Amino acid sequence: MFTGKRVDLAGAAAFVAMMAVLPLVFTSRYLIGVLTVSAIYGIWAVSWDFMSGLTGRENFGHSLFIGVGAYTAGFLNTLLGVSGWWGIPAAMAVAVVFALVIGLPTLRLKGPYFALAMLSGAVIMQRLMLIFWEQTGGEEGINGIEPLIRSQLGFYYFVLGALVVVTLVLLALARSHWGLVLRAIRGDEATCQAAGLNVTFYKIASLVISAACAGAGGAIYAHYQLQVSPQLFAVVTSITIITMVYVGGMASIYGPVGGAILLVLLTELLRNFGEWRLMIYSCTLILILFFLPNGLIAPTWQRIRSRLGRRT
Amino acid sequence: MNLLEIEALDKHFGGLHAVRNVSFTVAKGEIVGILGPNGAGKTTLYNLLTGFIAADGGRIVFNGRELRGMVPHRIARLGISRTFQLCRPFVGMTVLENVIVGALGTAGVDRAGLDERARTLLASVGLAGKGSLGVDVLSYGDQRRLEIARALAAQPTLLLLDEPFAGLGSGEIADLAALIRRLHAEQGLTVILIEHKLREFMRLVQRVIVLDFGAVIAQGTPEQVVQHPAVIEAYVGRGNEAFLEHPDAA
Repeated sequence: MFTGKRVDLAGAAAFVAMMAVLPLVFTSRYLIGVLTVSAIYGIWAVSWDFMSGLTGRENFGHSLFIGVGAYTAGFLNTLLGVSGWWGIPAAMAVAVVFALVIGLPTLRLKGPYFALAMLSGAVIMQRLMLIFWEQTGGEEGINGIEPLIRSQLGFYYFVLGALVVVTLVLLALARSHWGLVLRAIRGDEATCQAAGLNVTFYKIASLVISAACAGAGGAIYAHYQLQVSPQLFAVVTSITIITMVYVGGMASIYGPVGGAILLVLLTELLRNFGEWRLMIYSCTLILILFFLPNGLIAPTWQRIRSRLGRRT
Repeated sequence: MNLLEIEALDKHFGGLHAVRNVSFTVAKGEIVGILGPNGAGKTTLYNLLTGFIAADGGRIVFNGRELRGMVPHRIARLGISRTFQLCRPFVGMTVLENVIVGALGTAGVDRAGLDERARTLLASVGLAGKGSLGVDVLSYGDQRRLEIARALAAQPTLLLLDEPFAGLGSGEIADLAALIRRLHAEQGLTVILIEHKLREFMRLVQRVIVLDFGAVIAQGTPEQVVQHPAVIEAYVGRGNEAFLEHPDAA
């Protein structure tokens, strides 16, 4: 048990150190940009996994929380001159409101209502951004958002820090009694109710936590791109995040971080292949999911861990 | 004092009158059996009691409180635990974690000692040393024990067992019956059980309530009930009276 924990800590430390040192070794603005985006996707993937991976209630519209977070930070910064440091908590609060509006009525029901409500919520918000183009900037979105930290490297370290904090907090929650209840809900809701657990409360609370993290990620993304567009609400954003979680390993929390970084890097590496890029990307994904239905990152780590544990 | 009072309970599913005008009481510390052919309304009665389905009429009073209209988790917190007819362990979790989840819903449970308490419970149902196994490797009999350990983790005053002996061999049935007897003797637990396996059932329970087509057709000690003409006709069928002369023979 102790050796296992020590191996986990060592693995996490090695991973963070590698992420921190990479941009110092290969000093390229392009690489720092790619790593920043991958870390932001990491935040989104972990937060998706915390709610949907643990409870098994698939959320097909995570981009809703990302989009409202980004637009909140964008509006506050460009219209009211509010700094991003206040924009991030504000974005979290707005995302939580959206989580409650969708979660309260749909998470008490069985069936696909929650998944469908999330999906349509994101689609509707994307439409609304275009319909009210005079306020939202339409296709152009909001431009001229101020950067959070002037130095590109400094901003990257901030995002990496945020990813580490979000992952550690959600990992701690997932391994607590709280996480045990969420996994039990995935197993059997009726049995949980018979044990006196208010499953609706647990599901809504986990969605709220997930939304807050995704909203914060959205605000960070807005201050990275210095621009927000309706494309953030796109269904493809949500699907990309779900794919990252599957590649990383569902319900493992740390796996999706690896999945996000791997897939963002893969997308960038494949740029050399030009028009073949999407074809190779999709085939790789299909192969991974076909041969490794439990994902790539988390099961691999478990194997390394048990091998190291045996040796010590 | 009566722990549970059920009065004129009624439930329709469309045209089916699943539970009709059912009234009975259960005293604190009793072991009561509910008997009846398939479709007699036994499991529906449990679902009404635990709030999983809403009754159309009647009263359910537990410890002086009306349960009708309460959601399942509130009823569970008042001290009613149940098992399900089909084992429903939380797959992907260990045996110990399954029991811990059973305790988490109960307010005021001391969370620090939870691991230890869950281990003690596992030992008491005969699953000592199996805590770290995944539930998917458990035998059916062990799954039944786990169900009971999980239900007991909530520290109930009333335990509802739905066919706890189903699918078990005779040795396992005897063990499980001994466990129920011990819990009853040591903790004064009130138990209601639905069962088809007559032999152990009749030895275990102090009183039997017989349902047929949703209505109570007889009540009494196991000896009285098996001689009741309505029971013989409904449960065993005409011409099988000899079968029930000695409860042991069933």
